[in-house]
Amino acid sequence: MNMKKVALCVVVLLILSCGKQAKNDTAKKPVIGVSLLNLSSEFIVMLNKAIEAKGEEAGVQLIVNDAQRSADKQVQQVESFIAQKVDAIILNPCEVEASSPAVDKAVAAGIPIVNVNSETKSTPTAFVGSRDEESARIAMDYIVERLHGKGNVVMMHGFMGQAAQLKRDQGAREVLAENPQVKLLAHQTADWDRAKAMTLMENWIQSYGDNINAVFAQNDEMGMGALIALEQAKMKNRVVVASVDAISDALQAVKDGRLDATVFQDAQGQGGNAVEVALKILRKQPYEKEVFIPFQLVTKDNIGKYLK
Amino acid sequence: MLTERMKSSSGRWGLVVALALIFVALSIVKPTFLTVANLINLVRQISINGILAVGVTYVLLTGGVDLSLGSLVALTGVVAACFAHPGQYPVIVPVLMAVGAGASCGLVNGFVITRGRVAPFVVTLGMMTAARGLALVISGGRPVSNLSREFTAMGSGDLLGIPAPIVIFAAVALVSHVFLKNIQLGRYIYAVGGNENAARASGIRVERVKMFAYTVCAALAGLAGVVLASRITTGQPNAGVGYELDAIAAVVIGGTSLNGGVGGIGGTILGALLMGVINNGLDLLNVSSYYQQIVKGIIIAGAVWLDRRQAK
Repeated sequence: MNMKKVALCVVVLLILSCGKQAKNDTAKKPVIGVSLLNLSSEFIVMLNKAIEAKGEEAGVQLIVNDAQRSADKQVQQVESFIAQKVDAIILNPCEVEASSPAVDKAVAAGIPIVNVNSETKSTPTAFVGSRDEESARIAMDYIVERLHGKGNVVMMHGFMGQAAQLKRDQGAREVLAENPQVKLLAHQTADWDRAKAMTLMENWIQSYGDNINAVFAQNDEMGMGALIALEQAKMKNRVVVASVDAISDALQAVKDGRLDATVFQDAQGQGGNAVEVALKILRKQPYEKEVFIPFQLVTKDNIGKYLK
Repeated sequence: MLTERMKSSSGRWGLVVALALIFVALSIVKPTFLTVANLINLVRQISINGILAVGVTYVLLTGGVDLSLGSLVALTGVVAACFAHPGQYPVIVPVLMAVGAGASCGLVNGFVITRGRVAPFVVTLGMMTAARGLALVISGGRPVSNLSREFTAMGSGDLLGIPAPIVIFAAVALVSHVFLKNIQLGRYIYAVGGNENAARASGIRVERVKMFAYTVCAALAGLAGVVLASRITTGQPNAGVGYELDAIAAVVIGGTSLNGGVGGIGGTILGALLMGVINNGLDLLNVSSYYQQIVKGIIIAGAVWLDRRQAK
């Protein structure tokens, strides 16, 4: 292909994409820039849908960018929001420290910024989310109850060093400290990944066998992996499995009586409230600096409420 | 000349010694390691990386590289899952769709590399990004679940007591081994990687051989995608990140040269086995997640070092 053709293609594509943007550009709607952690994660997709639904309802124009787990990319996205002079920014931070410059820059430019779902070291205009420690506490409390306060637990960590991993680890250990007869037999990372969790669980089954009484996985993907490995080893009826996030697969598994419990993190509540808080700030109405959306334990008893 | 090259790679004693040492050490320290159940467990765990590694051996032998494998595993897993809902199609349909999707991507890789004369690193890097995007588009960013029992049996069922993924991996490895050593087209792959100009001068259609290698490699990635999706009972658009590097590592540990022309499937299997043993062993020993990565890195580099010293 010669260079002219390539150049022509590029120009045509650019014009087409500009046209698409221009169509949305109607007069005087407030513009909110949204930078999301990672749109290939199911929870973030749900969060995005909630933000978009609320934005539509409130007549807001949204510019949604996906940072694809890169804090560096996220900071660039916020910089370009600032350059575009958006009215407010909703930030779903990639990392505690590395995403902080995004917050600092928005604050310095006088643009209100709302952190949603997770925190940054720098203080934003407002925060909407949940306490990650609490999710692990709820799951671990459930396990302790099912074991009648005595037994051996294994724990699967998320990606080591991420805020969610650190906090869920902390929450789980708080419960363990209160229940000295529940022993942490082993803990290891499976990087939030179902296939890796399956491999890890298989290895633990070889290593500890029937000594394992319960599994706590820091997210549902890993919980599902552990569950499948236990089912294949025909051990599931003797082992309690609980995890966090309430993704659709996990909810279905709870309904089918396979997974014992998951913890519902309210994407709807977080996303919707983030847009509401941003609008309140824009309209100079009173708003709360921190909005905490509670987690909820999901078991077979209350699954009907969550699985539509 | 051709046979000499192949011979130099067949003496894989260094690697066998390293593997044996780790095996003995683990058996002593952890009695649960050397049990039939754990060994079956171990080979099943390396099946997916093994299938990918066998595939990428074809490409590395031509002197190329394929970085798109991890994304292709995700894409083909999603494609397979879309056709594998209960009562939808016979189980062969999702398998063929996934392998076909993989092969098509491989054909595109091969075409752009040979006709467009673009470096394989760049082309397959592009495919890595594009295939990931396509997987997300098809799945809408969410895992594709609710798969039929027949389909998930490929990941969790067994054939005469041997887990299905092992059977698939063994079949792929055996066919590829015979193909590369005994079939003319297979030997052309070595010739192209050994000396492209000489191969061309002796009448080998180098471009076609390369296209073939990339297509086979990606088609096997499709098969790996099927095994993964059936094992974890969903098509995951974000699965397989970094799998290409694990596969390439297994091949290189197994003695196949990154410059092409030297190596083979036997070494690749040993390489995949070594990586699997390390992973399994460190989990059994409950080594902390941070240290696992350091230990893995040292053992991989150390095994290759030991091997290359022997080969001299």
